[in-house]
Amino acid sequence: MSSVIEVQNLMKLFPSKRGLGTRALDGISFEVKRGEIFGLLGPNGAGKSTLVRILTTITRPTSGTARIMGHDVVHSPLEARRHLAVVLQETAVEMLLTVRDNLLIYGHLHHQPSALIRQRMDSVLDRFGLREKQHEKVNDLSVGMRRRLQVAKVFMVDSPVVFLDEATTGMDPLIKRETLTLIREEARRGRTIFLTTQLLDEAEALCHRIIIINQGRIVASGDMEALRSLASRMFRVTLTLAHPTPAVYNTLRAWNPLSLDSEGNSVEMTFKGEESHLLAKMADLSSQCPIVRFEIRGADLEDIFVELLGAK
Amino acid sequence: MRGILSVLYRDSRIRFTNLAWLFWDLFVPIAYLLIFGLGFQRALGGELRLAGKLTDYTSFFLAGVLAMTTFGIAMNTSYSFFLERDSGIFYEWLTYPISRREYVLGKILFNLLLSLVGAGLVILLGAGLMSTHVRLRWMPITLLNVIVGTASWFFFFAIFALRIRRNDAFNSFTSICYIVLLFLSSMFYPLDPLPQWFKITAYLNPVTWQVDLLRFSLIGYGKAGVVMWESIAFLIFTLMAFAGAVRAVNRAGS
Repeated sequence: MSSVIEVQNLMKLFPSKRGLGTRALDGISFEVKRGEIFGLLGPNGAGKSTLVRILTTITRPTSGTARIMGHDVVHSPLEARRHLAVVLQETAVEMLLTVRDNLLIYGHLHHQPSALIRQRMDSVLDRFGLREKQHEKVNDLSVGMRRRLQVAKVFMVDSPVVFLDEATTGMDPLIKRETLTLIREEARRGRTIFLTTQLLDEAEALCHRIIIINQGRIVASGDMEALRSLASRMFRVTLTLAHPTPAVYNTLRAWNPLSLDSEGNSVEMTFKGEESHLLAKMADLSSQCPIVRFEIRGADLEDIFVELLGAK
Repeated sequence: MRGILSVLYRDSRIRFTNLAWLFWDLFVPIAYLLIFGLGFQRALGGELRLAGKLTDYTSFFLAGVLAMTTFGIAMNTSYSFFLERDSGIFYEWLTYPISRREYVLGKILFNLLLSLVGAGLVILLGAGLMSTHVRLRWMPITLLNVIVGTASWFFFFAIFALRIRRNDAFNSFTSICYIVLLFLSSMFYPLDPLPQWFKITAYLNPVTWQVDLLRFSLIGYGKAGVVMWESIAFLIFTLMAFAGAVRAVNRAGS
């Protein structure tokens, strides 16, 4: 597979009138291959949106290079844009136009033939549940519907690279599931999906590869297996206790878990350490209070995220 | 070219499917001419003495209404520009496969067409219904002024639409511009009988430069030498506003 997005030592400094300014990106490098679903994760203010704005030619980097399908985003922005379809974090839709006009204009702006626009529009209106609202002005739609329309637009075109910045935020579960299915289908057809999200389960379910950035720097990258190895010896434990007492909870807290949440008789904890030690502790606990259900599993993306960024 | 046409189509769909915009673009200047113009005409006893010559107020005011049309249309477009930036669609447009030049040109072209329609309606109404005396020989200069004026005010307001972040602040700014620039100019009244401070302020106002050239081409009122200097000043103002708008668009992403 060839590289569709190439980023080399990208840096973005926002100058400030007082002090040194903000270093939003600090020497980031990575590549994304054709047909990949690539996840960009990080806490608020990590630099995700700045990176997306540079790659989509909205903002210029301070230094470093970024290429889309071989086209430099600074020197050949128009050529780079010819290969893009973008959903930005803002609810970017034409508020004073109808749903239909929004889709129509998006198709025309991306140089699609009229017959293809009509054909795609029918499919998109149905798949995103927008048919009944097609003649309504976007101003009159709910925020969730506007978001639906915004995401629907990128499925009107065939641009090889799709940027989805927090695309499923505000969507109802059914449409969200349909959107995720469509994203997988598009990737199978060879489109490259660049996804930023705060929903870690979504990234885990969708992405072939992920980078996690914090304070403008990459703190982890790779596929899910590679990321899991960064959080080895980390376990998530779910317990259902027969008769939990305050003394039992004191015992659990004394084990120093990374996290502990309880609701009713159920307890969920995250531990770091040897699995055999953890099992021995559970055996001790069962003599203090009968355990109805016990489940232990490896870390998920959320645990990895907390582990990597919590330390910082 | 396709990019320009797409912007043109999109802006015209927005304007023509939202009649409130058209009311402000086209109807308000006509209402000024009909109500304000006729009211003053009657209040002045039907005649106005300008540089020793008698004329009617509506003929005098026609140039002001044309300038008001270009000013109002540009201001409304800049407000839609502000809303687009505020909702985020402006930034999405910056990712579309059209150049920023095509985007700006498409917007200007739409404004120019709308201004020409507005100017046509005002002149037809003035000449037809109100029997104002219009110099047809100078009509190309009048229409050129309408075109340059619209572009100029669009560039001027676009700078602020792309810089001001808050809706209330932008609305206050445009309202202040409307009151100060239009009323401290030669749009509604001849400047000769007014106090010196008013005259000096008015002659520093680009609206006065535009109105004076329009009045000269429409009814032949004004000194050719002064109008020529005002035209040069207005052209420089347009070029500066253009440079400022391009700079604002380029900096908008950062």
